[in-house]
Amino acid sequence: MRERRRDPRHRGAAVTGLGVVSPHGVGAEPFWKMTADGTSSLTRLGRDGCENYPLKVAGEVRGFDPAALIEETYLVQTDRFTHFALTAAQLALDDARWGPADAASPYSVGVVTAAGSGGGEFGQRELQNLWGQGPRHVGPYQSIAWFYAASTGQISIRNDFKGPCGVVAGDEAGGLDALAHAARTVRRGTDTVVVGATEAPLAPYSIVCQLGYPELSRSGDPGGAYRPFTSAACGFAPAEGGAVLLLEEERTARERGAEVRATVAGHGATFTGASRWAESRAGLARAITTALAEADCRPEEVDVVFADALGVPEADRAEALALADALGPHARRVPVTAPKTGTGRAYCAAPVLDAATAVLAMEHGLVPPTPNVLDICHDLALVTGRAHPAELRTALILSRGLMGLNSALVLRRSAASSSHRRSTLV
Amino acid sequence: MTDQITYQVTVADLAALMKRTAGVNVDPDDLGRQADDGFDTFGLDSLGLLGIVAELEKRHGRSLPEQAERCKTPAEFLALVNTSLQTGA
Repeated sequence: MRERRRDPRHRGAAVTGLGVVSPHGVGAEPFWKMTADGTSSLTRLGRDGCENYPLKVAGEVRGFDPAALIEETYLVQTDRFTHFALTAAQLALDDARWGPADAASPYSVGVVTAAGSGGGEFGQRELQNLWGQGPRHVGPYQSIAWFYAASTGQISIRNDFKGPCGVVAGDEAGGLDALAHAARTVRRGTDTVVVGATEAPLAPYSIVCQLGYPELSRSGDPGGAYRPFTSAACGFAPAEGGAVLLLEEERTARERGAEVRATVAGHGATFTGASRWAESRAGLARAITTALAEADCRPEEVDVVFADALGVPEADRAEALALADALGPHARRVPVTAPKTGTGRAYCAAPVLDAATAVLAMEHGLVPPTPNVLDICHDLALVTGRAHPAELRTALILSRGLMGLNSALVLRRSAASSSHRRSTLV
Repeated sequence: MTDQITYQVTVADLAALMKRTAGVNVDPDDLGRQADDGFDTFGLDSLGLLGIVAELEKRHGRSLPEQAERCKTPAEFLALVNTSLQTGA
């Protein structure tokens, strides 16, 4: 990568904007404040119709009014997960101070999203119409609203983006794979790619689909439902929301005066089988090694690790061992964090939120803590309690899916980046 | 639009259906004045028109001809739908 960087034809993928819709709030700023403070937004699940399931604790996006943000024509034909995606995409564009005038042509802007479950709430409503009243009562937008690809399509249509589009169906880890795919799209010649993932799995039908996962936490205690790397680990709490990032070709971004906040430096992905957590050790280690090699990054250069942190003892052990396998002795020293214990795991969107957090952490020189986690039972320097100040140039983000995919992504703070948004929170 | 047809579905009905099924806000008077413009100029896509056809079929308890969902303009659509509802064709 360093050799390639000197090549004037090299096209780097730079992060220039962040859009976040999460249980911590709407917008990157409230999200970062809650994350840096180590606040937990996990609560007893209170959504209508969701009160009587074995799933009791989740991360809900509250105070989100799509009608205030999205035109009615888009609202009627899309599910909540796409409302999140349209909102997060707009926030990312605004954050990057990117406007339609910045596009050389509509074909120079692409969209890539990942989705784990599609539009469950919309789909449930229409299926109830089907079985309750008959086929004539199913609206035609059902055909597009609950589909995994809905958000990519609607972001493109709403913004008149006509560049390369994609949808990654790659399990939770697909969120990182989407970022990698977007970075490749930039390298191959597209100047701008809107990329991310959002999920809305907290509707009755979607919850019933998740109840078959043995990894899902059944705890009714918001403070105890999701405690990875501890002896009290009892699975994970799910969440809704997500993040969208604006990726731009590095030189093009600088030419329009945008701030290059980080670059996508490396990625690796493997598959080791559904719920075979012991085997995920080797797969995750391989994904890390591949990502570091692509980034031309030595293990010692990793300044912070955003862990997958599933919260299942066997999986947590496998992740700790994978880090030791891939990073060697550095694995015991490097700060590791899992801020998602404060929001829950938003499936594909969880690692994209981690990528957004990594960018913010590098800018603020602060590793956010892992809420609700205190007593670690693994050989890791997990940041708990309070945020940990550190000079951060390289972040490693890990994600594993319940269906067996493992991914690692390396983000690097731009060497030329001058601004330092050091926080006053610590 | 021809005058001989008794309009069971009016321009105002169509404007209300466009709003309800597709979220398209259009003033009934504008829709009447621009009845020969394409549905796309009002922001109604083909799935939106399909939803309106389904809604009318439910409301009137009968099927509409297949061409209904392929109509390009409000004028064409209202003429076809009202002819069909009147003649029972």
